[in-house]
Amino acid sequence: MKRQYYLDLAARGLRMPIGTDLVLHEKPDHDAIRLDGRRLGAVVAEAATRYQTPLAIPLMDLTLEKASLLGLLGIPYAQAAEFHFPDSIAAETLSIVESRLKGPLDVRSQAHVDAIKIVATDRSLVSSGMCIGPFSLMTKLLADPITPVYMLGAGTTAEEDPEVQNVERALALAEMIIHRSLARQIEAGAKAIVLAEPAANVAYISPKQLETGSDVWERLVMQPNRRIRKQLGDAGVDLIFHCCGEITNQMLRDFASLDPVMLSLGSSRKLWEDALIVPDNVVLYGNLPTKSFYSDTKVTEENVIQMTRELITNMCRTGHPLILGSECDVLSVTGCECRIKAKVDTMLNCSV
Amino acid sequence: MAELQELTQVIIKGNRAEAKRLTQAAIDAQVPARQVLDALVAGMDEVGRRFQRNEVFVPEMLIASRAMKEAMALLEPMLVKAGIKPEYIAVIGAVQGDLHDIGKNLVAMMWRGANFQVVDLGTNVPAEKFIAAVKEHRAQVVGLSSLLTTTMPAMQATVKAIKDAGLGSLKVVVGGAPITQDFAKEIGADGFSPDAAGAVDLVRKLLAA
Repeated sequence: MKRQYYLDLAARGLRMPIGTDLVLHEKPDHDAIRLDGRRLGAVVAEAATRYQTPLAIPLMDLTLEKASLLGLLGIPYAQAAEFHFPDSIAAETLSIVESRLKGPLDVRSQAHVDAIKIVATDRSLVSSGMCIGPFSLMTKLLADPITPVYMLGAGTTAEEDPEVQNVERALALAEMIIHRSLARQIEAGAKAIVLAEPAANVAYISPKQLETGSDVWERLVMQPNRRIRKQLGDAGVDLIFHCCGEITNQMLRDFASLDPVMLSLGSSRKLWEDALIVPDNVVLYGNLPTKSFYSDTKVTEENVIQMTRELITNMCRTGHPLILGSECDVLSVTGCECRIKAKVDTMLNCSV
Repeated sequence: MAELQELTQVIIKGNRAEAKRLTQAAIDAQVPARQVLDALVAGMDEVGRRFQRNEVFVPEMLIASRAMKEAMALLEPMLVKAGIKPEYIAVIGAVQGDLHDIGKNLVAMMWRGANFQVVDLGTNVPAEKFIAAVKEHRAQVVGLSSLLTTTMPAMQATVKAIKDAGLGSLKVVVGGAPITQDFAKEIGADGFSPDAAGAVDLVRKLLAA
C-alpha cells in the first residue's frame, strides 16, 4: 500500500479497535478456530467489517513465534508458554534452528498465515500480518532478561558473563524465527505487518542507564528492528509499529525512525504531545485505555466519551494524522464481554 | 559505622562485588549480624523509595536486589547463629493463566529486601498450589499477581479458594497492572498495593493490626 492510503484513512476520521479477539471469543469453539486458517481468516474479516475498517488486523497472538522456535527444537507447544532457556544457550542451538527454518510451520503459525491468505482474497480489505518484535521475543525466552540486559548495557560482554551471552543468543534466535515468520506472512499476501514490541520499554531498559551513554537500546532493540524494517521495505510491505509499554520520548523518536506508516502506542502516552515528535507522514494510532474497559470503576462510559473527545480535539489542533483506537488488542474478559464491547462502541461512535 | 553506610550505598548502586566484599569485611570484623542486615535493608528501602519517585527504574531495582541477595548469602549463617528470623513468611505467585512475572518478582524482591522469607511459586499458579505452600511454610501472607485483565477471574477464584480453605489469620494481598483497590475489595482480598515498594508497608500494616 502507499503511505497516502493510511493518511487518507486518518483524514476521513477512521476510528477502529484492534478487535479480532473480541469477535473470536463470540464463537463457542474459539480455540479450534485458532488452528483453522480458513475460519480464522473469516473471523479477522468479520472484525474488520464489524468495526468498519479496511485494515484487517489479525489476532495479536504474540506467542506464535516463541512456540514456532521451540517447536524447531523439539519442545512441544504445551510447554512453550512457560519455557525459558537454561543458564547457557549452546552455540549449536542457533545452527540447529537455522538449519530447520525452511521446514513446514507448526499448526498455529500455519493457521495464522492461512488466515492472511484468506483475507487477502477480499480486495476491500488490507490483509495485515502480525509478529512479535525481536527484543520482546528475547525477553520471553529467558527467565530473567532484565538483569543481564542491564549488565550488557553497563559494558559486560558475552565472554565475561553467561547470562549476557544468553541475551545475545536468545536475540539471535528471536530474529531468525521472526524473519521466517514475516517471510511466510508476506508470501501469504500481507500488505502490512503489525510489529509488536511491547517489552521495548522502561521496565526492561532503564532510561537512567541510557542517560549515561549506554548503547543497549540501540544494540538490542533498534538494530534488530531496522533489519526487520529492511525486510519489509524490500518486499514493499508497510510497517505498523506497536508498543503499548511505557517509553521515553527518545524511544518514541527511535521507533518513528523506523519509518512506519502507523505508530500504535499505549495509553500512557499523550498522542497530541507525541505528534510534535513523530513525523507528519506517520499516522498515530490509539490509544484509549481499553485494557481497563472491563471495569466500570476504572473507566466509565462517560470517561470513554471524555477521552475520545479530548484525544480528537487535541489531535485536530496539532493537525497530525490520527486513527483513534485501542491501546492494544482489546481482549475479551470472561464475564465482562458486554461491558467491554459497549465501551468500544462508544469510543467508535460518540460525537465530538 | 562508615563501612555499613557504604554497604547501604553499594546496595543502592547494585554493585554486587562491593556488596559481597563489604559484607564479608563486616562479618570478619564481627559486626553484629543485625546491624549488617539493617544496612542491607536500608539500601533496598531507599531503592524502593527512589522507584516510587521515578528516580530509578525496574532494572536498577533488580540489580540492587541481586547485590542484596549475594550479600545475604554471606550473612545468612550469621543471622541463624544470632537467632535473627525473617520478619514475616510470605508466599507469592502469578495466578493461573498469567505468565507475566516482572511485577511479582519486584514484590518478592522488595519483601526479601525487607527481611521477609519469600516462597516464590512462579507464574501460572493454581489455587491449590498457593494453599499447599501456605500450609507447608506456615505463611502469614500470600501475594497474588495478575498482569492481564483476562486472568482477573482466576485471581478472584484463587482468593475465594484460599479464604474457603480456612487458613486462620492469613492475609491475602493482590496487585498487578489492571488491579484496583475496588477490585481487591470486591474479590475479598485483604489488601492491595499499586506498586512493589508499597507492598512492604501494606504487609507490615496488615500483620501489625
